[in-house]
Amino acid sequence: MTLELTSPELKTQEMIINMGPQHPATHGVLRLVVTLDGEIVKHVEPVLGHLHRAQEWQGQNRTIFQYQALIDRVDYLSGMFTSWAMARSAEEIDGLKVPKRAEYLRVILSEMNRITSHLLWLGTYLIDLGAMFGFPFYPFREREKLFDLFEAVAGQRMMFNYIRIGGVVRNPPFGWFDKLKQFLDEFPDRIDEYEAIVTENPIFLKRTQGVGYLSPEVAMNYGMSGPCVRASGINLDLRKFKPYSVYPEIDFKVPVMQEGDTWARYMCRIAEMRECVNIIRQCIEKIPGGTTEELRKTLGTTTPEKDDSKDLDPEWLLMAKKQNAGLRIKAGEGFSAVESPRGTIGCYVVSNGSDKAYRFRWRNPSFCNLSALSHLLVGSPIADVMAIFGSIDVILPDVDR
Amino acid sequence: MTTAAAAPYNIGEIWKFVRLSLIWMGIIFGAVWLVSWVVGAVIPALIDQAAGKDAVLHNLANIIRLLTPLIAVMVFIPINATYMVLAERRGLALLTVRKGPNRVGPDGFLQTGADAVKLLFKENIDPEGSDPLMFTLAPIIFFAPSVFGAIPLLAAVTSDHELFHIVNLPTGIFYVLAMSSIPVVGIVMGGWASNNKYSLVGGLRSAAQAISYEIPLVLAVITVCLLVGTLNVVDIAWLQNPMALAGLDNSPQAAQALQRWESIRGASHMAAPSISSIGVNSLADFGFLNWNIFGGDKFTSYLALLAAGKYTVEAAIFKGLAALLLIISSFLLCGLYLTGACAEINRIPFDLPEAESELVSGYNTEYSGIRFAIFFLAEFTNLFIVSTIAVVMWFGGGSSPFPATLYAPVMQALAGVCGAVNEVLKGIGLPAILEATTLSGAIWAIAKTYFLVYFAILVRGTLPRFRIDQLMDFGWKRLIPLSLILLLTVTFLKELI
Amino acid sequence: MFALVGRSIESLRQVARGLGTVLKHAAREPITKEFPDTMPQLAGHFRGRLALAVNPQTGDHLCISCLQCERVCPDKCIQITSHKSPETNKPELINFKIDHGLCMFCGLCTEVCPTNCIINTNDFEMADYSRESLVYDLKKLTLTQDESAHYYSKKELPMPKPKPKPAAKPAAGAAAAKPAADKPAGKPEAKAEAKPEAKPESAEAKPAAAAPEAKAAEESAAKPAETQAKAEDSAAKAIETQAKTVETATKAEETAAKSGETQQKAEEVLKAAEASTKTEESSEKPEEKTREIDLGRVPAKSDEAAETKAAEEPKKEGEQ
Ligand code: SF4
Ligand code: SF4
Repeated sequence: MTLELTSPELKTQEMIINMGPQHPATHGVLRLVVTLDGEIVKHVEPVLGHLHRAQEWQGQNRTIFQYQALIDRVDYLSGMFTSWAMARSAEEIDGLKVPKRAEYLRVILSEMNRITSHLLWLGTYLIDLGAMFGFPFYPFREREKLFDLFEAVAGQRMMFNYIRIGGVVRNPPFGWFDKLKQFLDEFPDRIDEYEAIVTENPIFLKRTQGVGYLSPEVAMNYGMSGPCVRASGINLDLRKFKPYSVYPEIDFKVPVMQEGDTWARYMCRIAEMRECVNIIRQCIEKIPGGTTEELRKTLGTTTPEKDDSKDLDPEWLLMAKKQNAGLRIKAGEGFSAVESPRGTIGCYVVSNGSDKAYRFRWRNPSFCNLSALSHLLVGSPIADVMAIFGSIDVILPDVDR
Repeated sequence: MTTAAAAPYNIGEIWKFVRLSLIWMGIIFGAVWLVSWVVGAVIPALIDQAAGKDAVLHNLANIIRLLTPLIAVMVFIPINATYMVLAERRGLALLTVRKGPNRVGPDGFLQTGADAVKLLFKENIDPEGSDPLMFTLAPIIFFAPSVFGAIPLLAAVTSDHELFHIVNLPTGIFYVLAMSSIPVVGIVMGGWASNNKYSLVGGLRSAAQAISYEIPLVLAVITVCLLVGTLNVVDIAWLQNPMALAGLDNSPQAAQALQRWESIRGASHMAAPSISSIGVNSLADFGFLNWNIFGGDKFTSYLALLAAGKYTVEAAIFKGLAALLLIISSFLLCGLYLTGACAEINRIPFDLPEAESELVSGYNTEYSGIRFAIFFLAEFTNLFIVSTIAVVMWFGGGSSPFPATLYAPVMQALAGVCGAVNEVLKGIGLPAILEATTLSGAIWAIAKTYFLVYFAILVRGTLPRFRIDQLMDFGWKRLIPLSLILLLTVTFLKELI
Repeated sequence: MFALVGRSIESLRQVARGLGTVLKHAAREPITKEFPDTMPQLAGHFRGRLALAVNPQTGDHLCISCLQCERVCPDKCIQITSHKSPETNKPELINFKIDHGLCMFCGLCTEVCPTNCIINTNDFEMADYSRESLVYDLKKLTLTQDESAHYYSKKELPMPKPKPKPAAKPAAGAAAAKPAADKPAGKPEAKAEAKPEAKPESAEAKPAAAAPEAKAAEESAAKPAETQAKAEDSAAKAIETQAKTVETATKAEETAAKSGETQQKAEEVLKAAEASTKTEESSEKPEEKTREIDLGRVPAKSDEAAETKAAEEPKKEGEQ
């Protein structure tokens, strides 16, 4: 007797599972409505908006000066980049030329922020893959060290409020550059350690290689950016593609992988962290005025009093625009983008010349990257949902704004 | 941070951990010995005294004596699990450059107690639409077999002490394996009764996983049984422990031991020249090489006979090759067993049934309060029991890893201590049960078991988790063929040496 | 087959490498910070609880009630009550409230403050049992002189210039009379009751600053008698215009007399304060050289001291 698989008694039924918004593995509050046939995903529908905070509206209802403090919350893991994007747009409208020293400080702190963001991703991604208890603590340890540095220069660990329209807030305190150099010296060894634990681990390879393949065409069509597309062989990095700030003066590589699977995305981010170390090292050497200690020595003081004095070399200044409550930019509109750890983050500003902007509009990498998720997940087993979702490194406040 | 900054390495934390472990070990040992002594010796003795000629009371005393192993295990398991949870948390903390729980009691000594109290006071929630009876029964079914399954192992690790002789089953390992495969029923029950999709998937996954991995696990154990020629865990442990026979040359005990040896080995030990020709106690100085993970007494017999010059050159080379293959096979068998055991008890990297990133918490998603506590307790107890099985089967049970000549002074010292304690007890008119061999055996068995437990903690701190289909692939396409091949190889090798 | 064996061996090797790397970490120093036991070493620019600084050298309250911070706050959590001082025609602070439950510690208020009065302290332990208690008033916000000096040096802020004019602010007496004057007229009994109330309030309004203010008045050689007379005048006038009974007038005189006494007492306190500033200065010097030194939890202690001082002063007055 043969079993009739098509007989009406033996029909299978699709199951709908809600993953999130309260699920231990969704980063933040995303709801995925997953239609399953057995263990295979048939359809995925991301439901957004649980974290909507009306960031754009808030910007329109506050003065620009006030809004600068809120921008870090757009993508809280890479606050430097969000404030940088907005600052650049405003500077573009205003025709401001940011002093070199400020630009270098921006690059240093942003690249540090890129490292922290990738480290957080690394830890949580391993949690997604089930290495719950050991490994994730190591990236977080290094992240804490960087946060201590951020705290010393910007005042807080994640909500920096450091990059402003026209420059940066302050010079790093004494001894800061030494600590940073010390960190840069030990960090490559730490990455080696992560790789010793993770990269060649057979289980990790099995879970990631060939999983969640993203073809370059799909990546282009969905408007994705960041390490996701670079892992698919598209060399899209605004730092090279449309150079801004002082990046043209710095010698660095953009890691590009051809495989397009989750493993390639992992490798891409690891390589990017190494590049960040390289970039920061060069910046410390090239920064006009040198480290804080050197700068103050030249100025003949130990306090920051003279940091913005008029007789200073204009390249050594921090701020091209006076920061006060009535900060306003010229009427006009501008858009500019920077390369954040998750991809191209851009801010569109329309100003009518008053101290409030007429319109803000954010272009968020996470949002565009997330849109490709339903494409990536179809056909993969349910156990891979989190492995793939984690690998595109979506940060929910960035999606919902 | 000042004290930590003073020490370049993490000596402080490691020392705290060691101290904690030692104190807990003392508590565990003390409690179990005290209970065994009271239940197995003092109470029956008192009853006997009071009974005079009353046969019924004498029988009662005997019944209480027979209950000793059960009560000892019942006392042992909760205290032991308390320590294991703490050890896991502090051990993982060590591996992840943290400090771990250190607030409740000195160095977090009482942390698990606090957790247990918290869990006991929590509300017992019955999810809507659940099957209350099954829902309540599931943790019990999950937990109970581990208690009963552990009993024969007690006899094995205490060198067959007279109090635990009752549980010296002829088919001990069979019973233990049978018992340890029941808990999966509890998981499926819990998953099914919770009325939750995640729990159900977790429960079913667990069933699938347990079935797949039980096969290589049992095959690995069976292979060892074939190698040693008995199913009795006490005998398996004893065979790996010729160190106990040291210094018994030409004494009646040596003859007795040889007799026991041959009775266990029976006809299977027919390859000539036999170890009987030079005496079993000649193996005593090989120390840990006698353990089954190095091919057991097969390998050491070969070495002993080689040293005694009983082999021709060709035979020596041929048998040497066979012995080498046997060692490799034994290592693989041990690895096979540990892998299977990891899957059986749902530890990382096989914790699919409770995969947090996929299934929230798997089969125990809906559990809370005391029922969750029992699940939790059982998980750790299972870990301990599979480690004990591994110790008995591969790591020599309660035998010391040192050559007998080196270890003899320690044994003498232990014997002195035991004798003194027994004298004191007898002096105040109480029965005495302390024996040096039992004490040494128990200490070594626990030490080895905890070595494996720490290894499991290390694995937990390192590896990510398999995907369910990869897990099945790995089980059916890799482990089962490997275990069958090993079964075959070992069967032949054992006759060749 | 051999490829499979090779792969397996390689896998095992990699797993062993991973295990070894993890095991190696057991010998590393733990990164745990045992927070309540050991306080974190925070950077000077750390944005914690907000506070109002006084001049670290003279002890003047630095706030000039310019309302910049209130305007700039994105969360609207600052509430300043001030009025135009009748004598100097300058705004004068009455109360300053910050709702720390609303504040997001962005630090914008501290950036716009022209006198560096409002600053972010390093304190971050503000947990409390109710939302109301997160609203800090002037007394709770104002730092002592020691604390101000500590934060000024830690944040590398430029020292504020001492006030150019002999703080023409009326001394405690006038301040005491003011709330009384605000009360509806024609209720002498009520006023008599209100008096003891009013005084503590005045002390509260200028917690630690009461003494230094008087000191400023002293130093600038503004004749104490004159100030006192002025205070008497204003107090008497204010009350006269509102309640025309003789009793109240005499009472007002009493108030004024008492305020004179207060001033004397303030002088005593001032001497102690001066001594403390000296020691403070001497202890400051090594700190300037080695910027890394952290004063740790000094502020908390002196905060308590200030509070008890503030609490004691009105009590003494009440006794008189
Ligand atoms: S720190 Fe920011 S939110 Fe807080 S009071 Fe100042 S301006 Fe307002
Ligand atoms: S900005 Fe400074 S001086 Fe002005 S009101 Fe606020 S705290 Fe006072």
